[in-house]
Amino acid sequence: MGALGPSIEHVRGASWLHRANPVVKLAWLVGTVFFALATYHPVPLLVASIVGLAACVSAGIGGAVGRVLLIFAPLAASILVIQTLAPASCAAPCAAPVALGPFDLFPGGMTHGLSLAARILAVEVVSLGVLMTTHPSDLFAALARMRVPYLLNFMVSMTLQLVPILQREVANVLAAQRSRGMRSSGFGSVIPAFVPVFAGAFERVQQLSISLESRAFGSSGRRTSFRRIGFGPMDVVLASLGLVAGAAGVVAGIVLWNADRTAGTTLPPLLVVAVFVVAAIVFLGVIAAGIRAVLQA
Amino acid sequence: MNPDAPPVVALRDVRYVYPSGDVAALDGVTLEIQRGQVLAVAGQNGSGKTTLTKLLNGLLQPTNGSVAVLGRDTAGRRVQELARHVGYVFQNPNHQLFARSVAEELAFGPRNLGIDEAEVAARVAEVADAFGLTGHLGAHPYHLGFPIRKLVSIASVVTMRPSIMVLDEPTTGQDHRTAGAITRLLFGLRGAGITVVCVSHDMELVVAVADRLVVMRTGRVVAEGTPREVLADGATLSATRLRPPQITRLSMALSGGMEGPAALTVQELLRDVRASGLDRVGGSG
Repeated sequence: MGALGPSIEHVRGASWLHRANPVVKLAWLVGTVFFALATYHPVPLLVASIVGLAACVSAGIGGAVGRVLLIFAPLAASILVIQTLAPASCAAPCAAPVALGPFDLFPGGMTHGLSLAARILAVEVVSLGVLMTTHPSDLFAALARMRVPYLLNFMVSMTLQLVPILQREVANVLAAQRSRGMRSSGFGSVIPAFVPVFAGAFERVQQLSISLESRAFGSSGRRTSFRRIGFGPMDVVLASLGLVAGAAGVVAGIVLWNADRTAGTTLPPLLVVAVFVVAAIVFLGVIAAGIRAVLQA
Repeated sequence: MNPDAPPVVALRDVRYVYPSGDVAALDGVTLEIQRGQVLAVAGQNGSGKTTLTKLLNGLLQPTNGSVAVLGRDTAGRRVQELARHVGYVFQNPNHQLFARSVAEELAFGPRNLGIDEAEVAARVAEVADAFGLTGHLGAHPYHLGFPIRKLVSIASVVTMRPSIMVLDEPTTGQDHRTAGAITRLLFGLRGAGITVVCVSHDMELVVAVADRLVVMRTGRVVAEGTPREVLADGATLSATRLRPPQITRLSMALSGGMEGPAALTVQELLRDVRASGLDRVGGSG
């Protein structure tokens, strides 16, 4: 039984991104996160996402990243629909709405929605690129190299490793319940599927913590490490480049792409309507699927 | 068992490749299982045993080849539909158990099949009695020890009354008492004419209950026959690293002084030892 749905785990490979130093990759990820948080305009964020996606495709993980991003589509659609209809943020007074039947569509709200969605997308693409091309042990060693406190580092690494394990667990449990004639979808499958998964997860965590403590986890003193991450001059240059690019992005984001929240007014009405219609179809489709699942239960 | 009767399960040149992998988990497996037969499947981890059994109830569909259950191809058939005929007991009981009581757990499968409540109650009582679970019917499955939980997971499939039962490693992690109960259960299923497919590393169990043993290696069937035939094949044992039961290995070690095939049980070894006069060697010296 494979994992249930797309899996966020290391994909084996020998591409340039796989071979790149994990510390360098983390430096670029940190730069991207700060750039995304400092930038409001969706266009540079979308450009960053496309560049990240191109890197993932060239590393042979485009399909795996794409499958995970599909989960993001309903979230992005809901953000766009809600922000366009009832903007939480736009310059006062809000730009004149575009009329679509009984609805007033606010271009400023749509810009804000696009900005939020593009921020999430940019960070998600680059994070997936790093996670899927870096072995968890290398990631752990890289974080240690970056002087991340050991306990925090361990928690991050364990959490990332538990995600695919739990996904497989859910797939196994669903298979076991389907084998006893249970419907495989719908609200009715929630309890038979998730009680064993959560019970198993708690048991696993409990056993793991006992196992860790019995092997002196948390003891004082300096730890040694079997796995070491090299950090040569070229790696220093590339990592610095990532941080500098991130810093430049932050400055550009604040100076050029952040202050003007009325940028949404420049969106052509036709584009506002087209984006809204597509987002609404996805959004309503997800709601309809949810209602159908509840009714089937 | 009628060897001329059509098989209840027929696999034809089955190949299976997991979507995420580039290695064939099954590669050209052809196998027939007769009604009422107890078939054991053995082999090292990763040899394809569990993949093979998951094809039987439609949890997996073959990449190539065909799987027919009770004369009908499983292609396009849902697991829920096949569950009426093929009961599947997973290796880890924790993957199955979710209800608040053992009684609810035992009733889950029959209710999914749309069986009326009176019949469900009768089945639950009958199976609980057969498994010695009557005293636990009101208990929460997670409050029971692992061996009892395993029995509950098997019982929860037996209440569905499938004509084919698949058990994945039924005795792994069990204490001696529960392993004995599971062995007796398999005898009971055979006595009731139910076809059993049992994946197991437990050669004592295999020798005790199986009519036929299939040995797998790297996705292929590399040996099949009665347990006696397969366990007498030194080349297969060596290639698949199967270890015969301890009594069989002792019998093989003593075989210099005895005639006939190696013993599979204590009784057989005793008989062979007595027949060969080895039991008098110590006394004569």
